[in-house]
Amino acid sequence: MRQPQFIRSNTFHWALMVAGVFAVFVIVLFGFIYWQIDDYLTARSDRVITLELEGIAGLSPERRLEAIDEKLRQDPRGVQLAAIFAAEGHRITGNIESLPPSLRIDGPAQAAQIVKTNGKGREHQVVRAIARRMRNGDVLVLGRNVDEAREISHVVGEALGLGLLPAFLLCLLAGAWLSVRAQKRVEEVNQRVQRIIAGDLRERLPHRNVDEPFSKLAIIVNGMLDEMETLIHALAGVGNDIAHDLRTPLTRARITLERGRTNATTLEQLQAVSDKAIAGIDQSLTIITALLRLAEIENSRRSASFADVPLHDMLREVCDIYEPIAENKNVTLQVAVRHRLAVRGDRDLLIEAVANLIDNAIKFTPEGGRVDIELLRGGAETIVRVTDTGSGIGEQEREAVLRRFYRSDKIRNTPGVGLGLNLVAAIVKLHGFRLAIHPGPGCRVEIICPDREAAKQPARPTTGQAVS
Amino acid sequence: MAKVLLIEDDSETAEEITAELADRGFEVEWSANGIEGLDKARSSRPDAMIVDRLLPGMDGLTVIEALRKEQVRTPVLVLSALGAVDDRVRGLRMGGDDYLTKPFAVVELVARIEALLRRPVESRETVLRVGPLELDLIERTAKRGDRVIELLPREFRLLEYMMQRSDQLLTRAMLLEEVWNYKFVPATNLVDVHMGRLRHKVDGPDEAPMIHNVRGAGFILRAVS
Repeated sequence: MRQPQFIRSNTFHWALMVAGVFAVFVIVLFGFIYWQIDDYLTARSDRVITLELEGIAGLSPERRLEAIDEKLRQDPRGVQLAAIFAAEGHRITGNIESLPPSLRIDGPAQAAQIVKTNGKGREHQVVRAIARRMRNGDVLVLGRNVDEAREISHVVGEALGLGLLPAFLLCLLAGAWLSVRAQKRVEEVNQRVQRIIAGDLRERLPHRNVDEPFSKLAIIVNGMLDEMETLIHALAGVGNDIAHDLRTPLTRARITLERGRTNATTLEQLQAVSDKAIAGIDQSLTIITALLRLAEIENSRRSASFADVPLHDMLREVCDIYEPIAENKNVTLQVAVRHRLAVRGDRDLLIEAVANLIDNAIKFTPEGGRVDIELLRGGAETIVRVTDTGSGIGEQEREAVLRRFYRSDKIRNTPGVGLGLNLVAAIVKLHGFRLAIHPGPGCRVEIICPDREAAKQPARPTTGQAVS
Repeated sequence: MAKVLLIEDDSETAEEITAELADRGFEVEWSANGIEGLDKARSSRPDAMIVDRLLPGMDGLTVIEALRKEQVRTPVLVLSALGAVDDRVRGLRMGGDDYLTKPFAVVELVARIEALLRRPVESRETVLRVGPLELDLIERTAKRGDRVIELLPREFRLLEYMMQRSDQLLTRAMLLEEVWNYKFVPATNLVDVHMGRLRHKVDGPDEAPMIHNVRGAGFILRAVS
């Protein structure tokens, strides 16, 4: 037999468990109340019969008989028991058939089994009773039937039945309802998610009000979906850019080869054609290499291999390599290092980043200009600053230069792949550093390396100018 | 004649490489999978090996590791489509001597094989000599014949590397890796600029050129004949 689905659901199991615990709790509570009341009633009966016993015992033997008769007469409910037995054991008066053997004479009030007798018949009862031997040898027994306790237990039991069963059922119903409702929502979410998986990136999870946990979760997931949609679109854009940038040199190579095949008549001509085609293919390969490198750095979790990198030495070294290039272009390349400063990082990657910045700076600086590399301390930060006297990066271009393949219109004719700054940005991010691009005459790019204590906080752009 | 064992599963690539190496006077043996390649490496004792990383049967790096365990010191050039720095480091750590990422230019491959076959012997020599060129590693001075050449430290390093490998084609990538310890290819033609300056100093205006540019490939330092 298949159970309905909600019975198997976790929510329903919880409801069942809660209902069970609730029932046990209520039963224990009622039991405690019953026990307390019973205890109280017994104690009260005991007190009353003890006092009465003392009262009657203080009377003369004749007055005792009268008092007992009087007492029994004034008991319409028939809960009172009283009798006087002679010293040898037979009953002198009262409604108790014989002296109960379990009753201790001169002891405190106790439970005792007696046989109640009156004109009409006899009846076995368990009552609270007390017995005392009088001075003349008679035994006075007083008792009281505590039937109230039994009545109370009956009432308590009824209340329990009336209250507990509906409450238990209510619990189960609530559990089933919650479980069905949760399942419906899960199913709804599942349908939407299936649509997202199928490719509808605009689909979002349903949510009602903010205070409900399910809706809160849906809002969180929707936020994530928003971010992913943006990223996927950006990625698609990058894909188009890549396709374009790869296709251009490949198309050129193809045309060259095609024309060479038709027109070339000598070996030299064919070789020239091949060289041109190879150059085009090489450019495509360079782009692919740069992209793979970018992906490698962006996905890298290499902080394990980080070591102290002395920036002063590293900057001098990179400048030494680029000096002849600057000289050839009649650009002054100068490095100003006032402090010996080290940061924690991957030496090879940091060289790559700085080399890219210097490469860019030299490329975009016109003849006769200058490129300055500085190593500075500011606040709790170590700063590598590359300044040039080139055309600079405009306010509105600052974000764009970090886009893949972005090449300013001003520099359309300068050779390059357009991934250099992306690489720098990726390396900087990997280290938890910040890249700041300042506008102004020329261009000023800074790699800001917060000290390690400060770097523990996530790197976020602190000013409008910083991009990380 | 140097014997080269090529372990490469793509037959077209293998054919190209074999043809090119044969043209350059190498004797080439080819295996298309790792297990057979390992057997051939053991039996025919090649002078150098070219091993593709991803092979059917047995991974290229496993082949190298197995050979190294048997104390076979044959120089190995690892070929791979995996170009990440980490892959490269792993390739070299497993016993490869050099690492080349696909796609590659055939000249690059040949240059690297030749470099592996003619690895400079550890020498106590403190003065390097190639033709009229003389480099004193202790005094840090350079001379061509009687003419003293003033070199910057970076130029000295480059010339030292080239003199240790005279008559060998040195590609730009090799120079970047070995002389400047660059793990990436810079946008600017760094090598050409540096080489241009060094050549200007080494080859005087009325002297026979010693540093030769091999079009589309790299540079060779040759003793003047």
